[in-house]
Amino acid sequence: MGGGADRPGERFEGRGRRLRFLGRLGLVFGGGIRLLAAAVLALVVVLAGFLLANAWPAIVRFGPGFLSGTIWGDQPGGPFGAWPAIAGTLLTSALALLFAVPIGLGVALFASELAPRWLRAPLAYFVDLGAAIPSIVYGFWAIAVLVPFLGDTVEPGLSRLTHGRWPFAGPTTGGDLLAASVVLAIMIVPTIAALSREALRAVPRELREGALGVGANRWEATRLAVLGPAAPGIAGSIVLGLGRALGETIAVAMVFGGVYEAPTSLFSRGATIPSWLVTQFLNPLPGLDLNALYELATILLAVSIVLNVGARLLIRRLEAPRRSRRGARWRTAPTVVRVPAGTDSFAAPAWWPRIAERGRARRRWRAVVQGLVLALVVGAVLLAAYPLASLIETTAVHGGVAVVRPSFYTSTPPPSCGIGQTNCPLGGVGPEIEGTLVMLGLAALIAIPVGLLVGVYISEYRQSRLARATSLVTDVLVGVPTILLGVFVFAVVHTYDQTIEASAIAGAAALGLLMVPIVTRATEVALRTVPASVREGALALGFPRHRVTLRVVLGSCRPALVTGNLLAVMRAGGETAALLLTAGTSGLWMTSLTSQTGALSTFIWTAFESYSSPNYTTDAWGAALVLLLMMAVVSLAARLALRSPGGPGSV
Amino acid sequence: MPARLEVQELNAWYGGRQALYDVSLEVEDRAATAIIGPSGCGKSTFLRCLNRLHEETPGARMTGAVRLDGDDLGAADAVSVRCRVGMVFQKPNPFPNLSIFENVAAGLRLLGVRRRDELDQGVAEALLHAGLWEEVEHHLDAPGTSLSGGQQQRLCIARALAVRPEVLLMDEPCSALDPIATAKVETLMARLRREYTVVVVTHNLAQARRVSDRTAFFYLGKVVEVGPTDRIFASPAEKLTENYVNGRFG
Ligand SMILES: Nc1ncnc2c1ncn2[C@@H]1O[C@H](COP(=O)(O)OP(=O)(O)O)[C@@H](O)[C@H]1O
Ligand SMILES: [Mg+2]
Repeated sequence: MGGGADRPGERFEGRGRRLRFLGRLGLVFGGGIRLLAAAVLALVVVLAGFLLANAWPAIVRFGPGFLSGTIWGDQPGGPFGAWPAIAGTLLTSALALLFAVPIGLGVALFASELAPRWLRAPLAYFVDLGAAIPSIVYGFWAIAVLVPFLGDTVEPGLSRLTHGRWPFAGPTTGGDLLAASVVLAIMIVPTIAALSREALRAVPRELREGALGVGANRWEATRLAVLGPAAPGIAGSIVLGLGRALGETIAVAMVFGGVYEAPTSLFSRGATIPSWLVTQFLNPLPGLDLNALYELATILLAVSIVLNVGARLLIRRLEAPRRSRRGARWRTAPTVVRVPAGTDSFAAPAWWPRIAERGRARRRWRAVVQGLVLALVVGAVLLAAYPLASLIETTAVHGGVAVVRPSFYTSTPPPSCGIGQTNCPLGGVGPEIEGTLVMLGLAALIAIPVGLLVGVYISEYRQSRLARATSLVTDVLVGVPTILLGVFVFAVVHTYDQTIEASAIAGAAALGLLMVPIVTRATEVALRTVPASVREGALALGFPRHRVTLRVVLGSCRPALVTGNLLAVMRAGGETAALLLTAGTSGLWMTSLTSQTGALSTFIWTAFESYSSPNYTTDAWGAALVLLLMMAVVSLAARLALRSPGGPGSV
Repeated sequence: MPARLEVQELNAWYGGRQALYDVSLEVEDRAATAIIGPSGCGKSTFLRCLNRLHEETPGARMTGAVRLDGDDLGAADAVSVRCRVGMVFQKPNPFPNLSIFENVAAGLRLLGVRRRDELDQGVAEALLHAGLWEEVEHHLDAPGTSLSGGQQQRLCIARALAVRPEVLLMDEPCSALDPIATAKVETLMARLRREYTVVVVTHNLAQARRVSDRTAFFYLGKVVEVGPTDRIFASPAEKLTENYVNGRFG
């Protein structure tokens, strides 16, 4: 760090001064990013504090009975109980995992191991796209397609088959526990598939070849040499999928019926913690007790923290090499093998000819097993692809009508229009596009630099306690349900001013809060992949440390950084729940940053709430299509960025 | 000595790029054949063509014939080819999640060996032949990856031997090992070459002299010269070979 300035020779006088200046700049930079990291950490603590402070009166008043209470009263003062929401959350998430884990793993296996090579890249792209589609679009599609399908076809069939016995009891409405679980499963399949695929692909080729080398076929090689090393990553993907399912708000709120009762059958209506939070914050029951809602939010926060920390521990355990032989889980005695006499000759043992003779039949049987696995895996891919294809098709067909009309981009939403009314006036989503761009822009303007610098800090000062704390908090924050980010901001705003309305500023703050941890994590991970030699090479040339970090190290992983930022923009661009709480909806052009502001995603929600108005619905499909196209383009860009040459040569 | 493995007019490509040109070679039974040549000349590619591992590389393809005891390997089932032609890789690659025992047993299990005593015998034998038995007999339950580099490489050799291949391919088996481990593997090779048909790639000329009966010199994807190791090193017929074995390039 400017060490060259210690004893500058005469001729290097000017250079020495410059180096001293750079050295000082480096110190300022180091101090700056440390402060920034501390500020982010403090902000998160403060936000959690606000939430807790707001929940405290309820915690004191209702005590532990809050957890088991089954009623959400409509009188001030309660009673308030969280049990129906907790049960709904647990049941939907568990069922969603049950559906999604086999399918997601199947897709991952197909995409990384068994598919023909030409199919792998497009498949990976669609998986990424599926993970990027906003939940509001999934929800809107589910209402239009999935719920009628379940309610009219699947559920009556199941009910007939089982004579309405548990768990298929009750009226078949389609908007119930089964629908919520299926939507969640559809949404988390891409998450599980994408991350599991990464984990599978990260297994070195030599390991596969080692298995092929002893005569394994492709599936056996995967089983022997690939699944084990990929297990921690696969477990991580499942936990992430679970986190997403637990925190999913909008899609569940749309299809789960909104009834505050613990589900007793697959056909029960119900609510989850996030879905109840969003509906209560938006359309409070008369005796709204905000403190009880905050307590409910605190429970969700606690669950997501426990899940995150638990996942970390689980992955660390899985990463430690297994000490026992396969199948030794029930054999505790160490393997003792007595060597039969005469073994040291190279002659084949007596049983060898029998094995060799059976070789051909056995190989055929093994090929059949591989074929069965392939069939299962292809089945999983088709099951995963069908809803995605249906979603894209439905959105394109319904939304296509809207997006080809120029006024769609320039007009305000139409006045609502009753069923059967002809000549409904046409509108557009101009203000919503404006709102999305303004809030996303504001959020990105702050979150991207902050996220980058904090990421740099965490990876450069890995040893320090502050860096480790920031890293942990970032991890937790990435996994926090987005509705909670909205609740955080809502809590702060309301603590200071009970009358204040939602605003673009608050919306941008929530989106920023969503983006910072994603950018930070992406930066941290990208920097970790830069070999130490790149850094050392540059340091050896006498570059001061901050320049090495900023130019050389960041430069050499630029594609990964671009991808991380695009991912953050995508997540924020489709976010609905947090925006509903913080920015509200408006339908009018923006006049100031402190008034309610609509976005494309929240507009679709509004349309959902007034589903009967056909002109509105068409525009909502248009908004969904715009979001879908945005995700398609951005995830393509992210993919291309990763493929572009990003070596040190491009610094 | 009879030829065990016959290679005829072998050509291999990675995408549009050719790595082997019309390689023809006979490999003798119960002898070690060393493949030498500067790096990038196609030694590994040649080896990987012998057990059909080449086709597992994306975009790779090959033409020509490889015959083992007269059977055309190109027409056979790839899985059965790889049972008959075992391989040891440059970097030790034991299965990371399996114990020492299971690493060696993996191939046997694939072949359908189920009985405890047969598995035990097969594993013990392979480990004995690989010269690893004494070092691991008391902790067969430990993960394969807990061994040292040299032990891991011998574990991989044992893993390959367990399925009783007819030919053993070794791709620079010592290049990732220290001198002591290298010496152990070389001792092992000296023993194996009398029992198996061994093809070993090495960039270490002294090692080729020590462990092989015959030597083939590859250059830019072609075989320049094949012959008894003594003759290749003492009086090569080709100028190129002479330059290479005398360390004038490579
Ligand atoms: N997976 C691959 N993809 C493309 N080219 C390859 C691949 N593996 C090897 N090659 C090329 O094929 C040629 C021969 O490689 P190789 O057989 O590994 O050489 P050697 O083992 O003699 O060092 C080299 O020019 C190398 O660059
Ligand atoms: Mg090589």
